[in-house]
Amino acid sequence: MAEALVVRNLSKRFGGLRAVQDLSFSVNENETVALIGPNGAGKTTSFNLITGYHRPDAGSVLAFGRELVGLRPYDICAHGLARTFQVARPFGKMTVLANVMTGAFLRDKKPEVARARAREAIDFVGLSAKEHVPARDLTTIDQRRLEMARALATEPRVLLLDEVMAGLNPAEIDQAVALVGKLSQRGLTIVIVEHVMRAIMAVARHIVVLDHGQKIAEGNPKEVVANADVIRAYLGTGYVHVATPGEGRC
Amino acid sequence: MLGLRRWRRPWLGVLAAIALMLPLVVSKPFAIDIFIRVLLFAFIGVAWNLMGGYAKQLSLGHAAYFGLGAYTSTILQIRFGISPWIGMFAGGMVAMAASLPIGAVCFRLRGPYFAISTIATAQVLMLLFLKFRDFAWGAEGTTLPNLGNAPLMMQFDAKAAYYYIALALLAIGLAITYRIERSRMGYYLMALGEDEDAAEAIGVNVLRIKRQVYLISAFLTALAGTFYVQYIYFIDPNTAFSFNVSVEAALVSIVGGIGTLWGPVVGTVLLEATSALLQSWLGSSHGGVQLTVYSLILIAVILWRPSGLLGVLTEAYGRIAYAGPSREREGPLDG
Repeated sequence: MAEALVVRNLSKRFGGLRAVQDLSFSVNENETVALIGPNGAGKTTSFNLITGYHRPDAGSVLAFGRELVGLRPYDICAHGLARTFQVARPFGKMTVLANVMTGAFLRDKKPEVARARAREAIDFVGLSAKEHVPARDLTTIDQRRLEMARALATEPRVLLLDEVMAGLNPAEIDQAVALVGKLSQRGLTIVIVEHVMRAIMAVARHIVVLDHGQKIAEGNPKEVVANADVIRAYLGTGYVHVATPGEGRC
Repeated sequence: MLGLRRWRRPWLGVLAAIALMLPLVVSKPFAIDIFIRVLLFAFIGVAWNLMGGYAKQLSLGHAAYFGLGAYTSTILQIRFGISPWIGMFAGGMVAMAASLPIGAVCFRLRGPYFAISTIATAQVLMLLFLKFRDFAWGAEGTTLPNLGNAPLMMQFDAKAAYYYIALALLAIGLAITYRIERSRMGYYLMALGEDEDAAEAIGVNVLRIKRQVYLISAFLTALAGTFYVQYIYFIDPNTAFSFNVSVEAALVSIVGGIGTLWGPVVGTVLLEATSALLQSWLGSSHGGVQLTVYSLILIAVILWRPSGLLGVLTEAYGRIAYAGPSREREGPLDG
């Protein structure tokens, strides 16, 4: 399989804090990869580096063979990488449809075309009934849906989802998991940052674990939860003996 | 298409008819003078609203473009004998050219810092025109030569003529806003006004869109500057770059409804009419009362209705008319 996204030796410091150190991973086309780690591990910073919101001190990000470091966020979006934000950032005064149309305008200037594409994306995430609701009046899960629809409307090849399930109740998490599965079936490459382990296990075939800005483990879900370094990072040293390979749970 | 759609709305036709008939019915120069001021400031408000309203880039320095428009046409007329009709567009061009470096500096700042930096640009221009005397008459300014009735030089005996020019300017401003509101640019402006980072994430080149709308806004504001000088026959730096123009442009939009097509018009009608009427009724006997009432209106709107008068109406209308899920609507506010 071809590589959709290759991150190589990415580093970023904020003053004395090494937010991301020498991070490398790659994502194959149509694969779903999860980025996990304790709070402050550098997950969101990695997203910001990949999508052009921060400029890395070192390293490179290749999308379909193209260097993204140095490009502005809107250029990166035009190259087919769309992201959502950890805290949903809808255009509050605008309706759901107008929000998503704004994304669709990237690929076509004509309002009729943008409207049709936006409706398609809204339908895909299941928000059609709320098309004319101002975005600020949506519930948390609907705002997340809106973020996804808005990103989808830009017709991305890679979708970066930053904690789309935070703050959702268990039933809503199931809905969100199903939605991410549907996106993957559509052929999208997905990078997902998430804390909800149940969700990660369900959607990701490959997991990259960060701690203090460094990659400490990588592999399929089973390998990762059994990894001693991962357990130490999440729970502290005292718990390492609990886990033995094969019966890893989270 | 624009014209056809327009006449489908009967109230717009009625409004246009009233606006066109007004000078024929009301002939008191005092009243027409108020109407002209209302139209002019509504037009400046419309120009400001494109940037300050839709994109929420709160400029308090639009006097810079008003003044550049005023001075460009006046210099061309007095020094080179060029008609202000041409000078008007030349002024617009000068304003557009000036908006590029001003934007390059000011757009680096966000929120209140942006507003403060724009105030500075207008003040700097005013000082330049005050100090350099041989350039443009310095502080004492100049009067325009009275040519009697000379339509080609934008001078008329009948006040109604000025009224129609101001009305035409406002109609142009509204038409441009209407088109932008429904185009990609309108959506982009509103989106970046709401959240610049989120807009960039979905492919909006925020800086480029700001620059483009600033060009349009500056151009329109300069047209108003030329018209104003032609109307009052006098120019000096304090009138041309008056801070009041900048503030008024912002206030009428804020009171009427920021980021709405008709907001600046509604706001100007309310503010200008109140201020003019109060001034004529109370100005001589109770000095300062009209300013007090004017301020009270402002405080009331900002305190209770920060989305402006039109905002209240549109929200109410939206609740009643669009309770159903799938009604077709247009424009970024409604998709």
